[in-house]
Amino acid sequence: MELKKVQQQWDGFPEISMEERPILSSDLEKVVVSNPLTDAFYLENKLRVRIYIAAILWLLNVYQLRIQWRTDGNDLYQQVALFCLLSWFIYFHVRLLLFADYPSLLSLRLMPFLQKLETVLDKYILSFKLISVMAGFYLLSVGEMLLSRLSSSAFESISQNGFYKWLIIIFLSVSFYILLLQSIIPKYRRLLMAVRKYKYGIAAGTPRK
Amino acid sequence: MNNPKRKAGPDTDLRSLLKNQHRKVYSICRFFANNYKEQQRLFIDIIAAASQNIRFAKGKCEKHTLLLRACINMAALHSIRLDLEPGTDREIHFKSPDFQRTMLQFRDAVGETSDLDKFRLFLAMEKVSPDEMTDLTGLDTSGHMAVIVPVAAAREYSIKNFIPYLKEKLIWS
Repeated sequence: MELKKVQQQWDGFPEISMEERPILSSDLEKVVVSNPLTDAFYLENKLRVRIYIAAILWLLNVYQLRIQWRTDGNDLYQQVALFCLLSWFIYFHVRLLLFADYPSLLSLRLMPFLQKLETVLDKYILSFKLISVMAGFYLLSVGEMLLSRLSSSAFESISQNGFYKWLIIIFLSVSFYILLLQSIIPKYRRLLMAVRKYKYGIAAGTPRK
Repeated sequence: MNNPKRKAGPDTDLRSLLKNQHRKVYSICRFFANNYKEQQRLFIDIIAAASQNIRFAKGKCEKHTLLLRACINMAALHSIRLDLEPGTDREIHFKSPDFQRTMLQFRDAVGETSDLDKFRLFLAMEKVSPDEMTDLTGLDTSGHMAVIVPVAAAREYSIKNFIPYLKEKLIWS
């Protein structure tokens, strides 16, 4: 690549062309308030929705935990574990949202920008593990509810046996995670790999094919 | 009727700055967009990013620097997006014959270069000094990650960093 030749070609671009016309004021009004980050690069709304849902679940869990504590119920340990999990889930997502700092993300220099994007995606993928464990707890609750209506003796047998409950939670969590691994996670993982590859490519200065 | 309490949009300075700098934004599109649709999308994304950067600016960064960072970062995202889309048409295709011919010649002159070199060329064409490269990309002029920590301090830091696994878990870089 000859710099002189590039400069020559650069100077050869037409002064006025249909492709490079100035932006209209009416269009500019709309563009300046639009969000430049789209698709999986922008996770702010998803993180906010997760925080709101988790906060509601956390409040419900506190109420359930209080009842279990007072009545010395069978599900006390389960509710304590869920309380810890939900608290960690909210903390994790609030921290991720603050770390990502979407309004100023694009004002970073290229390498820190790519690094941050990579970290946010990596942590977001990690958050699916927390969701799977939570899904294990809630699917068990749904199962118990259904069982209490279909067969009260089976429900009695399960609700009395804590060990089986934990085994069911583990089984449901792993199954749910496998489901996520096959459905939602690959999209984010592909994006993470692309960002990582691009970052290393920039650092190494390799040409793109 | 005009409502004095109505929340004003982005200030006039910002709008006029973005309007005046449209050629700079189109300049980076010449390196990364292969057709009119891609060019328009990248152009709009960069304008939106620059507007966001300037409105939510932290610290004492100049508007000009924030605009260039928006150009570079959005061009990088554009490249990543193209990589993810299977069967992307990389042929140069523009409606205006003059522009099409110039683009073909220009891309031919640039050849198969890395995106980092494209950024360097873009900055050179926009008469940005090579010293500002570090401030825009985080890489020094030779293409290495900009080292801010002195060597002795880095060595001391690596000795103190005796639990790298734990550090990785607790601190997100």
